[in-house]
Amino acid sequence: MTTKNLVLAQADPPRPGRPHKKGRLTPYVLVIPACAILILALGYPLVWQFTTSMQKFGLAQQFGQPPEFVWFDNYVTLFTDPYMWAVVARSLAFCLITAGVTMAIGTLMALLMNAVHNAVRITLQISLLLAWAMPVVAAMTVWNWLIDWRRGVLNSVLSGMGLDFQNHNWLANPMSFFLIAMVIVVWMSVPFVAFSIYAGLTQVSTEVLEAAQLDGARLSQRLRFIIVPIIRPVLAIILLLQVIWDLRVFTQIRLLQDAGSIASETNLLGTYIYQLGVGSSDFAMASAVSIFVLVLTVALSWFYVRSMLKEDDS
Amino acid sequence: MKRKLASLAALATASALVLAGCSSNADRGADASADNSVKTITLWLAGSDTPDELREYLKTEFNKETGATLNIQQQDWGDLVTKLTTSLPDANNTPDVTELGNTQSSTFTNVGAFLNITDMYDELGGSKLLQSFVDAGMVGDKNYSLPYYFGSRAVFTRSDVWAAAGVEQPKTLDEFNAGVAAINAANPLNIPDFSGFYLGGQDWRNGISWIFANDGELATVKDGKWTSTLASENTLKGLEQLQQLYKSASNAPNDAKDSNQYIYLNDSDEIKDAEGAVTASTSLSAASIMAPTWAHWSIGTLGTDDAGKATRTWDDTKNAVFALPGNDGKPAPVFAGGSNIGISAKSKNPELAKSLMKIIFSKDYQTMLGTNGLGPANSDHVDSLGDDQFAKALIASASNSKLTPAAPGWATVEGSLVMEEFFNKIEASTDLKALAQEYDKKLTPMLNGE
Amino acid sequence: MTSTVQSTGTAAVPSRTRPQRTAPPIRQQGAGSGNRSFRPGRIVLGVVGIVISLIWVFPVYWMLNSSLLPNVVLQSTTPTWLPFGGSFDNFVAVFSGGTFLPALGMSTAIAIITVVFCLLFAFLGALAISRFRFRGRKAFVLAVLLIQMLPAEGLFIAQYKLMGSLNMLNSIVGVSIIYIAAVVPFTIWMLRGFVAGVPADLEEAAMIDGLSRTQAFMRITFPLLAPGLVASGVYAFLQAWNEFTVALVLLQDNSSQTLPLWLRGFIQASASRATDWGQVMAASTLVAIPVIIFFLFVQGRMTSGLVSGAVKG
Repeated sequence: MTTKNLVLAQADPPRPGRPHKKGRLTPYVLVIPACAILILALGYPLVWQFTTSMQKFGLAQQFGQPPEFVWFDNYVTLFTDPYMWAVVARSLAFCLITAGVTMAIGTLMALLMNAVHNAVRITLQISLLLAWAMPVVAAMTVWNWLIDWRRGVLNSVLSGMGLDFQNHNWLANPMSFFLIAMVIVVWMSVPFVAFSIYAGLTQVSTEVLEAAQLDGARLSQRLRFIIVPIIRPVLAIILLLQVIWDLRVFTQIRLLQDAGSIASETNLLGTYIYQLGVGSSDFAMASAVSIFVLVLTVALSWFYVRSMLKEDDS
Repeated sequence: MKRKLASLAALATASALVLAGCSSNADRGADASADNSVKTITLWLAGSDTPDELREYLKTEFNKETGATLNIQQQDWGDLVTKLTTSLPDANNTPDVTELGNTQSSTFTNVGAFLNITDMYDELGGSKLLQSFVDAGMVGDKNYSLPYYFGSRAVFTRSDVWAAAGVEQPKTLDEFNAGVAAINAANPLNIPDFSGFYLGGQDWRNGISWIFANDGELATVKDGKWTSTLASENTLKGLEQLQQLYKSASNAPNDAKDSNQYIYLNDSDEIKDAEGAVTASTSLSAASIMAPTWAHWSIGTLGTDDAGKATRTWDDTKNAVFALPGNDGKPAPVFAGGSNIGISAKSKNPELAKSLMKIIFSKDYQTMLGTNGLGPANSDHVDSLGDDQFAKALIASASNSKLTPAAPGWATVEGSLVMEEFFNKIEASTDLKALAQEYDKKLTPMLNGE
Repeated sequence: MTSTVQSTGTAAVPSRTRPQRTAPPIRQQGAGSGNRSFRPGRIVLGVVGIVISLIWVFPVYWMLNSSLLPNVVLQSTTPTWLPFGGSFDNFVAVFSGGTFLPALGMSTAIAIITVVFCLLFAFLGALAISRFRFRGRKAFVLAVLLIQMLPAEGLFIAQYKLMGSLNMLNSIVGVSIIYIAAVVPFTIWMLRGFVAGVPADLEEAAMIDGLSRTQAFMRITFPLLAPGLVASGVYAFLQAWNEFTVALVLLQDNSSQTLPLWLRGFIQASASRATDWGQVMAASTLVAIPVIIFFLFVQGRMTSGLVSGAVKG
């Protein structure tokens, strides 16, 4: 791809491959607002977090006692703590499964929207929109109530089907806790995935598809050779986001924990950081885990980040 | 051209941000003048426990006495620790006076969040103030936070179900334990998953009453060093009784916490169709529960108030309330609810804050707390609670009530939900002592804030 | 310059064809909905679509249903499926608290500021990285990608200190700044795809056809960007509308609560007596309604954006 600098840029056609002299400052001016807001909002907090992760910093330090600098002690404590690795393993499993399921369902929904009659598509879109529009706190309240051990609809329906789910407590067992959490997270994230992919699909020219169909290309071939290449950037960024979000999913887990379960057996990285920081006032450890999560996320998404950077370069 | 566009955009952003900033911050920073009438101090109250009437009283009285304005902000219990952690150390944004849970107060007191008010202690009530709460706000022999109000826990029952099962109101703890197990076995109304005594698997706040009642302690302190004592002999006795209750008297979920247990005492069979036939089944599923004494507002027959809001009316033919009896027949020591109140060490108006404290500890205000069902901090004014059965149960159970350990790390213990986890494992445990020792090991460093 | 407009009304797929300089391809006879919808496969898909819709919308329906029922009905062990005999009492009770409208105002202001500035900043940033090669570009792109990987749960103390020192606690701007920073990276990346997706020669061609640069942008690039802008805007809006932790820490005055804080306070206040599920669900509904209205609004924009994606013939 050559330099494209038409919008807001000079009218004369650019010479491919070489930045235009007059436009040399333009990109910098363009990124100033974004950079400024990022530095303003995140600069100090990031520095603070990094420093704090190498200090002894608890409630006493928060109330003015000078913190002691301990270099990497917090990290050593962290990495030798088997509990932390249990949380990491749990979070990774939860994240990958949930992100995978979300992507699969979201993609199928987008294709479905693309394939069905208008009325059905609009019905689908409206119900997805409604689910998407639910504020998280409100959604969690509803879900907590749907799965309520005593008066929840879920148990009532399952019992009505002849299964023994009367007064079944879904949150007591960590496995079923995570199953419920996954269902909720998937329910909340699919609309975004489905709509984004659907928006990508609308960029696929129907003429090309129809021409391909006329030429005898099967659905799978059309998907593979026409649709996927066009929506791949969307797929990549959405998948990346799902992985990032699901790795440190917080509100859903936290509010489910409030309703039941044993916190130490259902903690994921997000709630673990929160519990260390807010619960135990161990801000140093919370910072250290945060930094570790950052590194972990980068590692997890590095393949995508690199391929995106490459794609961006080409 | 394009540079102009970009810089215009930046300028527009900046000015919009500045403008919006001004409008929402105009009322800040008005502390300079010596005249009190332009001064405002902020009081944080936790939850909605303090009724509006009392808040209005505080505002008017404070203004009358000092000329300054009192700004009351209500903070939710669930988020209070987060907010105290961020705001109290910040002189520009700290509340001047704040309420906080009595179990949280030792932690914040120990890190120096509160002003030393030892000089006011006698003036505010001195030895008349509820001692266990006063202790929770002390470091050494200095007072930092003082009791605001207390609540306590009592047993609420369905006396009709107890009668149907042929069980009398118990006189001792053993009788209680045996009685609720008998009711559970009898299940006179044939309700599925019925509990003779509904006790949530993670409900340690009610559960520790059995530890206290057997003279057990959660932790002891020696030379400033705290030790968790779950595995001590008396504590274990209480834990064994609890395990028995969980096994034979309670069908509550293993992960249920101390919340809303009173709904299981209520019928909701008033739902009828047009012919008056009952269409929905009852939701009654427990013969007894333990809850804070104010829970009586949520127990009884359903009705509507003048505003059309659903209310519950206590029905003496169906409901009863009593203090959990101890082994000696006197009320058992239960975990007291309630909160402390203190002046922020970073307050810019400590004198005004002290004036507010005087109003709060005045006879008038203490009496108002009592008439609203909140146990007044000063024992001289406890009569104001009245003498109905709820006040009696409150006073009886509070007479012997206890607090959680006043250890610097207790808030950490609560924040990391270790007690919930420990109680959760009691029922299924085959070796309570080993379980208790395991958790002693976890708790001891936490208690000492390590 | 020629282009095709495919009517979204009749086509099964509301597709917008890319304006093309070649002659429009011949449309197959009967490619519209009229013919295809009778294919059995399509009917099956339609049924599947309806079933999925119902499953997905059920929790929302349940919230609405519960909000109309009195608490006593909700406490029953058998669910009541339809709100017969229901009323708006719960909503009246929620409104009578008098705190909903201020919170609505607060949330709306924060959401609008966040969306507007986020889209503006992100569009400029996306323009820079998709249309220019410049030194530091790679670092910028990398930073944009990495910043969104920071877990927010560890940052709140520092953000409180920051906003405290800027005297921006309890202020709309303080919270908005944090929110804009939180959504700008993703928005830049998303818009980058859309900006890059607009073939530059398209604009050139339009200008050769006699349009000014602004006209070319407004008539060609902007409509092509519209779905991207709408999607990013929706994303930014939802983040700002739903965010909880930062708001909790930065907004401590009762007079400056956003809707999630208000709702949570409402739930907690209700739980300290016996939870009144009917009122809690009514309150949840009230928080969701503005989002739904916003969505319906942008849905219309999106469609009209798609339709106007065509260039005059």
